[in-house]
Amino acid sequence: MKKAEFSLSVLQKRLFAVILAITFLFCIFLGRFFYIQLVWEDTLHYRALDQWTREIPVNAGRGLIVDRNGELLAGNRAGYGIYARASAVAAPEKTARLLSEALSEPYESLYAKLTDRSRSEIVIARRTQKSVVERIAQTELKGVYYARNDARVYPYGALASQVIGFTAYDRSGTTGIEAYYNSYLFGKNGEILFDTDLVGIDLKGASAAYVPATDGLNVKLTLDYRIQAIAEDVMGKVLSETSAKAARAIVLDPQDFSVLAMVNLPSYDLNDIPRDDLNTLNALSRNSLVSDIYEPGSTFKIVTAAADIEEHLKGNKRALDPHRHVFSSSRTRTVEGTTIRCWSDHKNGKHANETLAEALNNSCNPCFVDIALSLGKETFYDYLAAFRFGRTTGIDFSGEAIGMLLPESTLKTADFARVGFGQSIAVTPLQLACAAASAVNGGYYYAPRLVAEIFSCDGSVREKTSPALLGRTVSREASAILSGMLEGVVRDGSGKHAYIEGYRVAGKTGTAQKYENGVIAQGKYVSSFVGYFPANDPRYLALVIVDEPQGSYYGSTVAAPCAKQIFEGIIDIMHLAPVEAL
Amino acid sequence: MKSKFFFQKEDRGAKKAKGKGDILFLAAVIFLAAYGVLSVYSASSYNAEVQYGDSLYFFKKQLIGFILGLGAVAGIAFLDYRKLKKLGIPALVLSLVLLALVFVPGLGKSNYGATRWIGFGSFTVQPSEIAKYGFVLFTAWYFAKDPARMRTLVGVLPVLGAGGCVCVLIMLEPNMSVTMCVGAVMIGMIFLAGISKKGIAAISVPVLLLVPVLIAMEPYRLQRLSAFVDPWASPKEEGYQLIQSLYALANGKFFGTGLFNSRQKFRFLPFSESDFILSVIAEETGFFGVILLFAVIAFVVYRGFSIANACDNFYGYMLASGITLVFAVQSALNALVVSGCIPPTGLPLPLISAGNTSLVVTMAGMGLVYAVSRHNERR
Repeated sequence: MKKAEFSLSVLQKRLFAVILAITFLFCIFLGRFFYIQLVWEDTLHYRALDQWTREIPVNAGRGLIVDRNGELLAGNRAGYGIYARASAVAAPEKTARLLSEALSEPYESLYAKLTDRSRSEIVIARRTQKSVVERIAQTELKGVYYARNDARVYPYGALASQVIGFTAYDRSGTTGIEAYYNSYLFGKNGEILFDTDLVGIDLKGASAAYVPATDGLNVKLTLDYRIQAIAEDVMGKVLSETSAKAARAIVLDPQDFSVLAMVNLPSYDLNDIPRDDLNTLNALSRNSLVSDIYEPGSTFKIVTAAADIEEHLKGNKRALDPHRHVFSSSRTRTVEGTTIRCWSDHKNGKHANETLAEALNNSCNPCFVDIALSLGKETFYDYLAAFRFGRTTGIDFSGEAIGMLLPESTLKTADFARVGFGQSIAVTPLQLACAAASAVNGGYYYAPRLVAEIFSCDGSVREKTSPALLGRTVSREASAILSGMLEGVVRDGSGKHAYIEGYRVAGKTGTAQKYENGVIAQGKYVSSFVGYFPANDPRYLALVIVDEPQGSYYGSTVAAPCAKQIFEGIIDIMHLAPVEAL
Repeated sequence: MKSKFFFQKEDRGAKKAKGKGDILFLAAVIFLAAYGVLSVYSASSYNAEVQYGDSLYFFKKQLIGFILGLGAVAGIAFLDYRKLKKLGIPALVLSLVLLALVFVPGLGKSNYGATRWIGFGSFTVQPSEIAKYGFVLFTAWYFAKDPARMRTLVGVLPVLGAGGCVCVLIMLEPNMSVTMCVGAVMIGMIFLAGISKKGIAAISVPVLLLVPVLIAMEPYRLQRLSAFVDPWASPKEEGYQLIQSLYALANGKFFGTGLFNSRQKFRFLPFSESDFILSVIAEETGFFGVILLFAVIAFVVYRGFSIANACDNFYGYMLASGITLVFAVQSALNALVVSGCIPPTGLPLPLISAGNTSLVVTMAGMGLVYAVSRHNERR
């Protein structure tokens, strides 16, 4: 044999090299398998789980909304949604026929839905009665599922509709308390999980996994539905009698600022929401007391008076003595060349030689110009800040407006003078009510509250709100002096239409001209009255606003009587005894 | 000229072969094929039920392939493989003809945008599966005829030409992965034949440079490449296949979900019975099962090369090592695809994946390696 061209050892080496290369490749992918199957598997498995199952929702029962007495304001009516998964429907003709009979819906459209495989879950009926579902369930149709889908019901219909708010089709809150406290009310939806193949066909022998829903928590409001009903009744009447654009009222407990009633009229029925007319719905569902601003007019004089009394007690020389200072009897004041007039003509001895108490009784504008100018911008704005004008009150409600306060640095003196009697400033009704409450309750400003507590189905309290003191406005002494004067307004002055014998009602009227596009709108007024009782220890405070009443437009004649009727209603409901001998 | 390999006289081959051969090698091959039938059943039964109304559809086909494959093994195992030298050129020609037939309208069958099959009624054949072995038969014959050809580039040219033709035709189908497989086998066989190191470099470098060119030629390959880098960038399109494979692997963990308990086979994982059957196996038997499976595959590869090593003639050496190389390269490429090491391409796991052409041809090839082992023992 000749010498070999290729030695055995060369070919052996080559074989060895190839085996080595292949071993190397094997190691690479085995390492990769190791990584995917033993290290990465958790993350991947979690992602994969999602594609392996189809879900039918199990809706959580939405929490109830009740008033402070436990009266139901928002509840649920049992209903069921019917769903189908086309890929799991075994006999579409039979299924469509049975569903068509049970739901009285056309066979053709149901059949089309049931055979539409482009969608995995089909809604057959969003909400039906339990009896219908029970009848269908007996037939044990394959691929058809049922899930609780309650309807939201409001036993009192339009009562406090802007406060309570409503829910969307997915049962989440859209407006009002329903929206603000949605995270408590909604609960947690559960689901029924079906093991399926790629297109959603149920796997044989696989059992459905049931993840139960957690019902939502209940919300107890500070509102008293009886006071709310009285207030709505009263405001409804004034709305129709005066053909006003709107009538609003807030009733507060001045001791802790819990809201007892909030009335916005016109209103709408929460069980029949005009969902198709968005503009109307937006207008009617708006809680203007919190979200809209207006020029308060004379009711704002409470704040000016409070500032003056407090400063005087503190020894500020610039403050006018609330008891001894006698205001000029002139009808006008000239500030920076502009003339500010009183609403009264001051003839025949009207508004002559007034003290602060009389100025309040008469609602005499020039006197409050004097106070503001005398105290000066800096001091006065400190009080505006303490009374929380220009910032939120902190109420537990969405969309609170902060009002419009001309900035102190650029404020013209002529404008500042008007702020003294409630012009050139815009506030929310809630801000004014709270400011008045803190001026007369001893000077305590709390965050207003609509919700008293959150409680679960078994009645146990989960969360309880408590009064949150945001700050002091005036001293107890100043508050008492002011309250005495405001009691005089109702007893002897412009507020006498709110007088109830024996109950020491106090308050202040307001009549503001409306502005449209920066000029005074002729014949358009906002009549208001803020009142409370009893004057020595305020328990109920009401702010009444009638927007654009036709005919008589004075706060004293339009708004004050409303407050009186509301107070009478409260006295009746609460069986309140008179606080002073008749 | 004869190499040191031929220390045994040619005439010995004329004697009737009597050795038992490498029984363990053969047993491992048959075990893998049988395991493949079982895996195909598990991976395909749901799909088959939905698509054909017969959960045994793919199982039955695979079983037929397995029986045909056993027949092929039995027929070839007792052959004197050296007689196949005559088939060197005809095998190559047949391969090229079959590959060309794919492009004849009416005969070629398309699926998923590629024309990879020729069919007569319900009977279809994938010529590229045959061509791989046709090329091996040709190359073994060519080099065995005169191993000195290895020393000159001109001597190697016919092999490069044959491999190039096969590659071009497969590339036109198109089938990138099988092309890569044939290319790798071509270089591997030239290397195994003992070409100089300079020579192997002169051949491999241009071939390797061709790969990026081929990828850039077809936009869908680039998309697949980017999907491979981050499959979740296009989870519904290019990334889908790889993501589903990864989910299957992840679901398997160490010991797997148990035989028949794959979750991904419920139509989530496309090609679960064919190119991605390893995903289902990895899901059902876990990393543990993958290790065992590749231990058996590695055993077959090792014994295949050992048979080549023990062979007393150059032709047998080239034949056994070439066939083993096809099997090893294809197994590795498939596992690399399934585990996301390289971009997804359509390449079956030999002996396991559904597909009768591949199964029968691979078993026949393995039968040939066994035949070599029987011959070795006679000396």
